[in-house]
Amino acid sequence: MQVEVPGPWSPLLGRLTLDAIPYTNPILQGTFAGAALAGLIVIGCVLYFKKVGYLWREWLTSVDHKKIGVMYIIVGLVMLFRGFADGLMIRTQQVIANGPNAPGVLGAQHGFLPPFHFDQVYSAHGTIMILFAATPILTGFQNIVVPLQIGARDMAFPYMNALSLWLTTAAAALVMISLFVGDFSAAGWVGLIPLTELPFSPSTGVDYWMWAIQISSVGTTLNAINMIVTIVEMRAPGMTWFRMPVFSWTTLSTNIIGLTAFPVLGVALALLGADRYLGTHFFTAGYGGNLMLYTNLFWIWGHPEVYFLILPTFGILSEVIPTFSEKPLFGYVTMVAATFAIAGISWVVWLHHFFTMGSGPDINGFFSVATMLVGIPTGVKLFNWMFTLYRARITYSVAMLWAMFGLFLLLAGGLTGMMLALPAVNYTVHDSVFVIAHFHCMVLLVVASAFAGVTYWFPKLFGFKLNEGWGKAFFWTFSIATIIVFAAMFALGFQGETRRLDWTFNTAWKPMLMVEEIGMILYVVSLACFAIMLVVSIRNRAKNRVGADPWGTSRTLEWLTPSPVPFYNFAVTPQVNTRDELSWRRKHGLESAKPAGFEAIHMPSNTGMPVIIGALAGIWGFAMIWRIWWLAGISLLGIVVCVIIRSFNKNEGYHLQPQEIEAMEKNLATGAIVAEQPVRTHLHHVEAH
Amino acid sequence: MRLKPYLALLPVLALAACSSGDYRLFHPLNLIATQEWHATIVDTIVMLLIILPVLLVLALFGWRYRKGAGAAYDPDWSHNTALELLVWGVPFLVVAGLGYYSVKTIYAVEPYNPGLLQKQEAADPQSVLNVDVIATDWQWVFVYPDQHIATIDQLVVPQGSVVKMRLTSTSVSNDIFIPQLAPMIAVMPGMLTKDTFDAPALGNYTGFAADFSGAGFSWMQFDTKIVSPADFTAWTQQASASSDQLSYEAFQQVAQPHANIGAKISYFSSPDPQLFDKVVAAAQAGVVYPVPAALTKSIGSNEK
Amino acid sequence: MAHQAAPGAGTRLFHPGFEGHSQISARTLGFWLYMLSDALLFTALFAAYAVLDTPMNAAGGPIASQIVNPIEGFWQTIAILASVTCYSLATVAMKNGNRAGTALGIIAAMVLAVVFLAFGFNDLATLTAHGNGLGRSGYLSAYFVLILTHAVHMLIGILWMLVMLVQIPRYGFNEMVVARMLNLRMFWQFQATVWVCVYIYVYMIGA
Repeated sequence: MQVEVPGPWSPLLGRLTLDAIPYTNPILQGTFAGAALAGLIVIGCVLYFKKVGYLWREWLTSVDHKKIGVMYIIVGLVMLFRGFADGLMIRTQQVIANGPNAPGVLGAQHGFLPPFHFDQVYSAHGTIMILFAATPILTGFQNIVVPLQIGARDMAFPYMNALSLWLTTAAAALVMISLFVGDFSAAGWVGLIPLTELPFSPSTGVDYWMWAIQISSVGTTLNAINMIVTIVEMRAPGMTWFRMPVFSWTTLSTNIIGLTAFPVLGVALALLGADRYLGTHFFTAGYGGNLMLYTNLFWIWGHPEVYFLILPTFGILSEVIPTFSEKPLFGYVTMVAATFAIAGISWVVWLHHFFTMGSGPDINGFFSVATMLVGIPTGVKLFNWMFTLYRARITYSVAMLWAMFGLFLLLAGGLTGMMLALPAVNYTVHDSVFVIAHFHCMVLLVVASAFAGVTYWFPKLFGFKLNEGWGKAFFWTFSIATIIVFAAMFALGFQGETRRLDWTFNTAWKPMLMVEEIGMILYVVSLACFAIMLVVSIRNRAKNRVGADPWGTSRTLEWLTPSPVPFYNFAVTPQVNTRDELSWRRKHGLESAKPAGFEAIHMPSNTGMPVIIGALAGIWGFAMIWRIWWLAGISLLGIVVCVIIRSFNKNEGYHLQPQEIEAMEKNLATGAIVAEQPVRTHLHHVEAH
Repeated sequence: MRLKPYLALLPVLALAACSSGDYRLFHPLNLIATQEWHATIVDTIVMLLIILPVLLVLALFGWRYRKGAGAAYDPDWSHNTALELLVWGVPFLVVAGLGYYSVKTIYAVEPYNPGLLQKQEAADPQSVLNVDVIATDWQWVFVYPDQHIATIDQLVVPQGSVVKMRLTSTSVSNDIFIPQLAPMIAVMPGMLTKDTFDAPALGNYTGFAADFSGAGFSWMQFDTKIVSPADFTAWTQQASASSDQLSYEAFQQVAQPHANIGAKISYFSSPDPQLFDKVVAAAQAGVVYPVPAALTKSIGSNEK
Repeated sequence: MAHQAAPGAGTRLFHPGFEGHSQISARTLGFWLYMLSDALLFTALFAAYAVLDTPMNAAGGPIASQIVNPIEGFWQTIAILASVTCYSLATVAMKNGNRAGTALGIIAAMVLAVVFLAFGFNDLATLTAHGNGLGRSGYLSAYFVLILTHAVHMLIGILWMLVMLVQIPRYGFNEMVVARMLNLRMFWQFQATVWVCVYIYVYMIGA
């Protein structure tokens, strides 16, 4: 039943041979050296400061939603950096390899990346940015903020939360491993069909892409279940649906999308996997396959996916803008309605990604109108933010700067999106860099609001603010770089440049390509500003300690907790009286009110099981990629066994006693260094009764 | 404050727009492309009618209501029914209008049977030029069934004709694109797609492959020429004189994966009359031209 | 909502002793949501089947009417519905605290599920032996994968039942065990529902 693979295969090592390691490639040599050095430094520091136990107890086995969220964001930022490096290589290759007489170095005929490498670089860039950078960062925000915003102590399923994190991390690890063992997919982040079939992509590249996405999709689906149940079941008393903050509303709708759309992606990739592993004919041109089936299935997921990314983004904007305008969000109810309208309509627009596939005028017409309809609720949101600014008192903190820049990106992306929604226009710019510039406006909106969110919530999590000066430097360099690169790219789209070109054959494109490269240099500068900002902020943290409400004008429940937030979130569950509870309390002088007494709190225990299952999932993925069947079987069996063992765990957690809570609250109030979270496992729990 | 970067953008765009010929999408050369360009303009202007005021108001509010600037402050104003109706209603009307316009233009430029060219096709059936296009890894094969010739990487059409293409691929999916002339349409193995465009203006153009199809993709351009009818006849006669014949077997050799670096043009006489249909049927029967890993690694690379 | 009342005498700022959500309520809601995602998975598979269910996709091989056996499918349907019934009876026994009855119901459900699967696998094996395996044509690929995906779900359910057979004597009917039994009931009923859709669409309409 196993399909004949091109290339050697042995029962012990599958397709894995020494040739799989590209040790002659100079770029990868440098990358490996850099990665190895960075890894050694990190491991060395951990060992030198004797933090191994601390890391395992406090972070790796944690089921605390805040720590899991922070780890998600760290994974996302690391992958964002890798994705940016890929993007830099794409831009540099295209500007060097311009015209018939373009020079070639490092073994390439033109530029420095032969097509074989260039194609992997841009496929990795897209896959990483969407699924391993943006998704984990936004998931991290949802994890951290939503339980706090709704007045809960943790997510509904803390264990499953940790499991989702480690599955995503395992998948990201697979993508990174593909740098050094084998290659990555060279068929685009969407997996162009039938290019991804074995005859045209015989190496393991497509398999890396496929299994990494499948594993992380499981994590995303589990996370979606967790977030929805948390929001439905765990809101604090008094928090009716229409008193819930907009970020939690967008989290709810985005995870409904995620829950329902990701299975379709799973099917699309599983059927492709069946073609590649079992010799089926789902998407082959011959033997009765239908390659358009893949395109449809993929984009039925693909379009809701972009809303899966943009709705939490809108949620962050809806938190930051009212806070720094000192006004409530305008049109709360219509914001919620617009969110769900967007989520609903996003299901019926997928064909606009392939208007040129020849579906005919009737079908193209339907999807064109549907696509334009989704612009209406998006516009409503923009107007509501605009009206929030009317007669406000705006402070241009770094977070607000990012938010305003995001609004301008939304305008540019929305305009170009409406252009693409017309097939008559689409037939001239499909698969051109015009499309790339359009969606980069939107994903950079995601990035901008992510940085707004980082700046906004960082003090809440860590107890000190990020350095404002370097934050502004980061913002200005990043935003100007964005404008330079993508204005030039829109121009190139009108010049007729198509996408995914390893060799940009038209010399007329050179000037704009060079403009883009200048923008890329500015991006590198902005990344340096980001790094410096982190270093300076951490160095000066003692001087910049903040209390519960560092911005002074926040409106929602999470700002009632001390900064940094204790692991149990709220010492006593708050009673919610209104929307924007904190600003209501502040208005009536109640924001510093303390509870009369404390009661025992039930907390979940740490566990190492998610790390183990995540590691096994990573091993299983690796084994499936290289077709090492015995290893795949063992690791899959291991996962099943772990799940079953875990189900026998009584996981009753432990109880925090009132005296301990009182002592911790006092420490936090005085600003004393927060004690390490007391280590609790199910073996050490102290019975309350 | 926030506006300055965008003000700086406008002259850049203006300069760009003034630039000649390079901005191919701004210079349509037939009815189809002209309609597409008009659609772009109409859509942009209609959207700018909303977006430009919003941009200005955002900038205005962002500037005027800064803390400490002394403007009015109304912290309780967060709801207004009339405004809500406006922000839902006006975009809805705009989308309704654009939707109608979109559907109208789709029927006008629809690649299989564009409304814009139906009159000419009906009035002058002689002006229709049939071309069969077969995309391989990584070349374009153009078969002229009525003229009994075939070319690789060159499409020549007589001025005043309506070109009706049937398209397929031997291997993977791709898109054909001739800026200023032909709308993009996909080519897919085992399937048939169609594209139609008119050719009123003499000139030399470049056609592209627009949907990534493998390592040799960057070299998949083809020469496109619109020539006078007399020159076209001379060109077909020149091609007929070629000693190479494009039988199905010869085509199978052509279809073997290789990158046509430099887009060298070849001519064939007497192509197999059923070549296109045979290629489609063969793909459906499971004929593939696999791309070995070694070939992928060696294209565009000087590494040994 | 926009203009909230000022705090009065009865305003509370804290709610000590808030018990929060119940485990069973949260776990069953979570499981319903998982089943929603599973339903979408099967929807996508049915869509793939529908697309590939044309004579052209049979590529010269058999089409639906040549391979489906509605009579055998009917007996499979009886087996799976009986299995669901037995499991439901097990949960009734659970409600009455009857451990032996629960175990008996579960075992009966498992046996009937194995019978169902035996029919199914035999069917697929026969097809494969005749050269009409899943690599023969696009249609057959869709047929096999749809049936096999359902079969994999059934196998997972059977494994889950085995685990419950160990956990019930060990823990009795505590909160966790009850939540799992309820979720398994939903899962099992869902699988039967998917099978009914397969039977109607693939077997009855296909024939």
